[in-house]
Amino acid sequence: METRICFRLNGKGVALTTDPLRRLIDVLREDFDCKGVKEGCSEGECGACSVLFNGKMVTSCIIPIGAADGQEIMTIEGVSATEKGKIIVDAFADGGAVQCGYCIPGMVIAAYYLLSNNPDPTDDEIRLGISGNICRCTGYDLIVESIHLAAKRGGAIWKS
Amino acid sequence: MEELKCYMPKTLKEALEIKAKVDVIPLAGGSDLMVSHKRTMGLTPVFEKPVMIIRNLPELKRIYRNDKGECCIGAGCTSEEIAENTLCPWHLRQAASRMGAIGLRNSATIAGNIANASPKGDTPGPLYLLDARVKLSSVRGDREELVSDFIVKFRQIDLQPDELITEIIVPYSEDDFDYIFWHKVGTRKANAISKITVSQAIKFNKDDTVADYRVSATATGAKTNRSRDVENIIIGKKITPELTEQVIEAFDKVISPRAMPEFRREATRRMIRRFLSESAKRPKGKVIDTYEGYSVTGAPTPRS
Repeated sequence: METRICFRLNGKGVALTTDPLRRLIDVLREDFDCKGVKEGCSEGECGACSVLFNGKMVTSCIIPIGAADGQEIMTIEGVSATEKGKIIVDAFADGGAVQCGYCIPGMVIAAYYLLSNNPDPTDDEIRLGISGNICRCTGYDLIVESIHLAAKRGGAIWKS
Repeated sequence: MEELKCYMPKTLKEALEIKAKVDVIPLAGGSDLMVSHKRTMGLTPVFEKPVMIIRNLPELKRIYRNDKGECCIGAGCTSEEIAENTLCPWHLRQAASRMGAIGLRNSATIAGNIANASPKGDTPGPLYLLDARVKLSSVRGDREELVSDFIVKFRQIDLQPDELITEIIVPYSEDDFDYIFWHKVGTRKANAISKITVSQAIKFNKDDTVADYRVSATATGAKTNRSRDVENIIIGKKITPELTEQVIEAFDKVISPRAMPEFRREATRRMIRRFLSESAKRPKGKVIDTYEGYSVTGAPTPRS
């Protein structure tokens, strides 16, 4: 059964007519070309498909698009275009945080969500902040360091 | 296959009216239902009945104290919202904060965790411990039931077709006890399904006799385990090693773990023994936890 669904995507109002039970990740990738949203486990555990739902990090593989009606979604495409997002992306590149890259969009979302709530996190707080994002290449250390770097470079920006 | 209708009510009233007329599956966070009904990458999940999406109903999002001082948690509150809110009892906040991944905790709701009726669910342990009730609403009105009665057995709940879980009411908190304990054994710190979780709380009388003691364990049988009969063994008496062993043996008869039963039984014994023996020493801190070097699982402890 198709229904008209309207929501805000990366700051812009969008609408589509579709099955409300389609998964958010599928709509974002197929209908709005947000290919940065990656599918890993399909069970909400690996964090590769992370997006911000009304500002909160969620896994988009377990959310039906009907639940996004009237709500606000930010994907990696939107986040990396913001000043804060750019700081994280640059810190990840400079800090050597990326190997295969599949988990990185989700990691950037997790770092953005963490630093927006905790501008100056400790090592443990960073590890907790990315505990829902699985990476099979890096061993996490360089990601943790890069998030420290983003916190330092952003400074007061994270408090705004 | 005929496509089923999907309902997207905007208010609780609307949702209850739909529930009164149609046999729908309420879907809030989706962390259980979207996974159990998933097909493969790119395909839309298929449900056996029409679905009603209730993720954003504002009436189900409140956390407040009622006039009796009980903590009332909207059915649609997520694990993160509960973990962050100090109005919520300590045991429940611990369980909510260690449930799955962060992204999942921002979706998964407390009512979903109860309605899923899994013996490994994280919130029922604390909810059983604190005599929590569910509020069930329908167009006919509201009723309340203990969570421990509402969860009838594995994957079965006492919900009438027209009812929706709208609130969870928790009458007790850590303020009602002198010492508290919550420990989850998982395969890793984050993203782990409970291997076993034990929640405990104790209150003493002035003469050192036990005024109240409670223990609940998850993942130790077809549903979360708690027994007032076992707790009564020690209530009204002073804690002694002999009495502690009696509680442990009695609780061991209550639980019925299927997989890895020796491990789960031994871990449960150790957690009860530790909590009772430590709280008998009346330490300063309120939280009794496992300390480094103390093993709840029976694994060899590292030498100091």
